[in-house]
Amino acid sequence: MSDSTAKPTSLFAYVAEFDNAMDLYHAAEKVRDAGFRRWDVHTPYPIHGMDAAMGLGKSWLSAVVLVGGTTGFIFALFLQFFTQVSLYPTVVQSKPTNLFTVPAFFPVTFELTILFSGFSILFGLLIWIMLPRWNHPLFNSSLFPKSTDDGFLMVIESRDPKFKKEKTRDFLTEIGAGEIEEVSH
Amino acid sequence: MAGLKDGDDFKDGEAFKSPTLLKLLCAVVGFGGLLLFFILSFSLGEEKTGAMGYSWLFAVIFFLTLGVGGLFWTLLHHASNSGWGTVVRRLMENLGSMIPFMMVLALPLVFPQFGFRDALWEWFPLREAALESAGEKAEKEAAGYITEQEAKVKKAQKAVDTAKVELASLNSPSPGHTAYFERKIKGLEKEAAKLNEKDLSEGAVIAELTDKNFLKKEALLFVKRGYLNERFWYFRVTFYFVVLIGIALVIRRWSIIQDSDGDPKWFRWMRRGSCGFLPFFAVAWTFLVFDWLMALDYTWFSTMWGVYLFAGSALNSMGLLILMLTGLRKAGYLRNVVTLEHYHLMGKLMHAFVIFWAYIAFSQFFLIWYANITEETKFYLTRNSDFWNTYTICFLVIGHFFIPFGILLIRSVKKTPLVVSIVAVWNLLMHVFDIYYIIIPERGPSLTAGTGHIAMTIPGAWIFDVLAFVSVGGIFGFFLLKQLSSASLFPCRDPRLDESLNVVN
Repeated sequence: MSDSTAKPTSLFAYVAEFDNAMDLYHAAEKVRDAGFRRWDVHTPYPIHGMDAAMGLGKSWLSAVVLVGGTTGFIFALFLQFFTQVSLYPTVVQSKPTNLFTVPAFFPVTFELTILFSGFSILFGLLIWIMLPRWNHPLFNSSLFPKSTDDGFLMVIESRDPKFKKEKTRDFLTEIGAGEIEEVSH
Repeated sequence: MAGLKDGDDFKDGEAFKSPTLLKLLCAVVGFGGLLLFFILSFSLGEEKTGAMGYSWLFAVIFFLTLGVGGLFWTLLHHASNSGWGTVVRRLMENLGSMIPFMMVLALPLVFPQFGFRDALWEWFPLREAALESAGEKAEKEAAGYITEQEAKVKKAQKAVDTAKVELASLNSPSPGHTAYFERKIKGLEKEAAKLNEKDLSEGAVIAELTDKNFLKKEALLFVKRGYLNERFWYFRVTFYFVVLIGIALVIRRWSIIQDSDGDPKWFRWMRRGSCGFLPFFAVAWTFLVFDWLMALDYTWFSTMWGVYLFAGSALNSMGLLILMLTGLRKAGYLRNVVTLEHYHLMGKLMHAFVIFWAYIAFSQFFLIWYANITEETKFYLTRNSDFWNTYTICFLVIGHFFIPFGILLIRSVKKTPLVVSIVAVWNLLMHVFDIYYIIIPERGPSLTAGTGHIAMTIPGAWIFDVLAFVSVGGIFGFFLLKQLSSASLFPCRDPRLDESLNVVN
């Protein structure tokens, strides 16, 4: 496939480096206020309050987990009542086989609720962030590896509706970015 | 407006001036109720006094759990080197310092003169009666027993002699034959020596026979005599008083000294102290509830009892802390110090302990229900009889777990002071039902045992429960307000104050 390499490379994003967490934090507030949507920050450690500075809302992953957990709860009760009470009533330790068998079913119900919640967190998150994938354009950046060491990076993607090649670059410089790298697809 | 204003310095702390009217009301209700309760208990006759003992235990234990929970959160906060809750730690310490007052209110339970002790813990009178009758019987039997034993000694000695004579009379015995007789003589001699060794003085015989008769009369109390005896019981109760009161006072004292001198040495002391105190605290609280609550029926036991009571106390003291916080903020205090982040964290802890309580309470029920062993099921048998079954399902299963669990799942609930306070009130109400469920079902069967007709409840006794609850509650409220106003509302010179003020989760 020689023509894929011959394709003109397009700009994916700007990666801007900041001196420290505080600068990045304030820059994030400015980017948020400027109305950018497709952007992110990458830091070696979590920065408290960055959610608010970036204007991130509440994550709705919890709703997915609630649905998953409820499914597990209902599934476990159904599984046990159907097999142990209605399909083939099983008398264990002279316990009743009716609604009052329910304490015996709690451990399994508890475990399945947790298992399904766990699954829905994992798979819900993977689908949400579109993983797994082979590669990501950010790996073309030479600055990006610093985000696991000592770099406080901000990435503004070119598909952002507010993105203008020159203007955004100037904007980044204005809010205190040091080195700015153009990353291509 | 009261409290800190913008520009005030945090290091001077925030003084609380307790509302005089509320404090007065608490004092009047509390001490008035106390007076009325004890006048009634001394004038109404033995039967009613017994019923009132359960009411007093219920009220004192309920408020004691809140204090113990407050102390637990203080100790945990230090031991885990936490930073989030420094601004609310003084509230925890104040709640923990309620322990001394509640323990003093528990004194009538401990001294038999009030007539509560023997009605609550039947093993006291049962043991006393069994020991007495066993002793009397032993004294009567002693003389006969001694003659019997002496005859036995003589008989054994005679058997030895006979065997020796028999061996001597043998004509040229085979080596096997001799060995057989020697072995026989040895055995008989051993038996005789054993009988001979036995102390046959009158005192020793009476002691031995008393034990024997005691075992026959109250087998369970006999095998548990090493633990369930008066002397050891009073030793343990002293231990609970010393440990719980001591820890609560010391940990608050250090914290308050730090307010004035700002020396970080106190911070380190509190941290190290907490790690050392925690095991003593756990042992004292666990055995306190063994001795005061589980022993309401001395035949019953559960190894989860201590952690069950602990789970309820940690949950509900967190609920009360949230309520205190909301009340203080409403009155204008702590507004610049406590943020919604603290509410969120405390709500999360409350949520966690709703689950933990349910986990422990259900596990205890589940294991006993499934194993179905006679000596363990008694507790739940009583509480599944009569109306207690419906009570359990409504208040404990649904009210204590499902409702707060569902509501506290929502993040915005935990971040809204008013709503989370309503949930805390609900939890405290359910905790009242929980403690009531632990103590009161024992009252009917215990007090009517031996009358021929076992009643599940004592009619009219609920009035005493209400009276006791209100009066202990009033005293609790009075001293809590007093403690709150006796020092700054937050540890104003704690090294971790800055971290706590800016906490984000």
